[in-house]
Amino acid sequence: MALEIIQEEIVEGMMKEQIQIKREKSLEDDNQSFFWIKSEGQKKLATENMVPGNQVYKEKLIIKKNIEYRLWDPFRSKLAAAIMNDLEYFPFENKSTVLYLGASTGTTVSHISDIVGSNGIVFAVEHASRVARDFLDRVATFRKNIVAILQDARKPKEYFSVFGKVDVVYVDIAQPDQTQIAMDNCEMYLKKGGYFFLVIKTRSIDVTKAPKRIVEEEIERLKPRFEVLQTIDLHPYDKDHAMVIAKFNH
Amino acid sequence: MYSVVLTELGISVFNDGKLDKAFSFSNPVKEYLLVKNKESKLNELVNYLASTQRGFSVSDESLLAILKKYSIDCHLMEESELDEIQTNKPQIIVDSGFASNLQDTLGKLREFALGLSSSKVTEVSESPDLHIIQAINSLDEIDKIANGLSSRLREWYGLHFPELDNIIDSINGYAQIVLAGKRESLTKQIFEEAGFPESKVEMLSLISSKSRGGDISDINLSIVQSIAKQVLDFHELRKKLEEHVEAEMQEIAPNTSAILGTAVGARILGRAGSLKKMASLPASTIQVLGAEKALFRSLKTGSQPPKHGLLFQHAMVHAAPRWQRGKIARAVAAKAVIAARVDVYGEGLNQTLLEKLNIRVDEIGKKYENPTEKDMRPPPSFRREGGFGDKPRRREGGDRRREGGDRRREGGDRRREGGDRRREGGDRRREGGDRRREGGFRDNPRRDRREGGFRDNPRRDSGDRREGGFRDNPRRDSGDRREGGFRDNPRRDSGRNDERTDSNKKRKKFGRR
Ligand SMILES: C[S@@+](CC[C@H](N)C(=O)[O-])C[C@H]1O[C@@H](n2cnc3c(N)ncnc32)[C@H](O)[C@@H]1O
Repeated sequence: MALEIIQEEIVEGMMKEQIQIKREKSLEDDNQSFFWIKSEGQKKLATENMVPGNQVYKEKLIIKKNIEYRLWDPFRSKLAAAIMNDLEYFPFENKSTVLYLGASTGTTVSHISDIVGSNGIVFAVEHASRVARDFLDRVATFRKNIVAILQDARKPKEYFSVFGKVDVVYVDIAQPDQTQIAMDNCEMYLKKGGYFFLVIKTRSIDVTKAPKRIVEEEIERLKPRFEVLQTIDLHPYDKDHAMVIAKFNH
Repeated sequence: MYSVVLTELGISVFNDGKLDKAFSFSNPVKEYLLVKNKESKLNELVNYLASTQRGFSVSDESLLAILKKYSIDCHLMEESELDEIQTNKPQIIVDSGFASNLQDTLGKLREFALGLSSSKVTEVSESPDLHIIQAINSLDEIDKIANGLSSRLREWYGLHFPELDNIIDSINGYAQIVLAGKRESLTKQIFEEAGFPESKVEMLSLISSKSRGGDISDINLSIVQSIAKQVLDFHELRKKLEEHVEAEMQEIAPNTSAILGTAVGARILGRAGSLKKMASLPASTIQVLGAEKALFRSLKTGSQPPKHGLLFQHAMVHAAPRWQRGKIARAVAAKAVIAARVDVYGEGLNQTLLEKLNIRVDEIGKKYENPTEKDMRPPPSFRREGGFGDKPRRREGGDRRREGGDRRREGGDRRREGGDRRREGGDRRREGGDRRREGGFRDNPRRDRREGGFRDNPRRDSGDRREGGFRDNPRRDSGDRREGGFRDNPRRDSGRNDERTDSNKKRKKFGRR
């Protein structure tokens, strides 16, 4: 029932708005990944909805030329915030495999799932069972390219159902020792030359230190094994958060 | 070279890289978990391996342990072999015939992952500690609602019979009178049945005939009566919840209950998220749980850290003189963690924990019997409003202080409301950092209970108090709902009594607002 209502709204919204879609090319090749959609006079980020009609976090759905797009809210998803703040590397594309730590209720995971498409895979790790419940109900059940892993990212050895090496490891777990956890996961599951995205929430590492220093210190830890490509301050979408993009040299 | 490989969909035996035999799982999630928990029998596999009579390399430790139990000669694979299996898993699954092709494998593995995650979610949802947390939060929620509703009831029925408000402290008794109807129809019998002592009954009869209240229409009365009914129902529910929390806490966390009391224990459990998480917290965290705001500020500015959060509600802590409370809170917290750990392992009640705590608290009482000069210094007025630590704070400007009172009160509420949401995900709680700050101070348990009053009024010793539960006039004694607390441990009540007088004095001194 809820679904029907939503679709009506989209159709209405579609007729009211002049929608423009510009294809955003990923840097690696010509695969389309995310889109810019003009909505309410503003250029907004979106992905093509892999499960038409399905909303994950009450984001707006827009249909254009029979394709449904989901607006991607940078205030809700740090990857979107990074894109808004001039992310230069975007290795998420059709057929990519991604290991995602800290899936939470699946906001960002769902957009990555849209992007990698039915031939890609997102291994989504989350250990808190309350949020995992929402993640399963809203996201993982409907998306055939998501492998839900309800386990502790501290024990990558024990993940069930991950196989092979992935193209990207994305880490957003807000733990004081997250860099170490992330590196251990990369060690096991990231391809040589693969990309590593690390969200640093400075306040969960150390509230007493200056955010900038914390980011520098975390980057320092990555250096022996990674080539750090870009550091993005996620302000104003997230306070005291930074995203570090690195390449795994191994 | 024989190898035995555990996959999500079955177990395969390979000979020099070629499939020798495959044992597929008919219910992968269940069977895989049985293996992982070393509970599988694996008869077929064991028989097969026994008949092959070889040494086997095995891909999984749990599987290895099971096979060893059956004296099968086997060892764990080398790191490099394990790596290879990890990488080639989809192919292994296809080769073993567990799936028809790679696409099918992916589908089946995804199904497996979903089923496994779901079963974990289900399992966690059944754990009793999560249910206790829901119960204690419901209880606090009910207090909040019922307090508001009780004030409303007094206001509304008060238009008709204003004098009643000053005579009946117990909201329970008040509601019963309202249910009896209009002033004129209130008889001695009704008062008696509501459980008032004789002296009160006399007074009530006298006063109802001389009331200055106005008439109330039938329709208004019937609504007011519905509210009264609700209040009484809440009272019943509250009692049930209280008993339930108490019984469940004794059952699943007897040691934690012995140290903290069932109610404070349950609230701390709620903050921690689960018994397991509570058991893994450092004592210093337990000590200040519920005082996060003050804690973060102290980390940032170097001001004094809070001495107690929720533990302020603990009888031993708040019955103690102010200058001892931090020390006692620390002692209680230290024992509480140990208690939680014992509870996690289900060891049953360990009396020595409580005995040791009592000894320690006595020690503190003797050693710090008199306040030092520093302790004697009157706290700045700011503290009277906010009241979270025992020392004056640096960096608390006058402005902030003035605003403080209100913001804080608000913050308390919001905290309660936010409680569940926060627990839903570690992340959200953390992210709440900023929001929390807006919400005002949230550290003092007294704070958010201010409006409170769904419990007995300790000050007033009216006869109906003993019926327990609901507190009297919420408007009247906004300050000290904390004493109302749960009656978890009769021993503790003595402590509470001391505290009552203590805090009454305080309230008088500092005024109500
Ligand atoms: C900030 S949230 C992630 C938000 C999400 N990335 C998004 O953008 O939608 C962090 C999540 O990591 C999870 N987490 C924290 N520590 C973890 C661990 N050791 N293993 C797995 N998940 C963890 C938390 O439960 C929480 O849901």
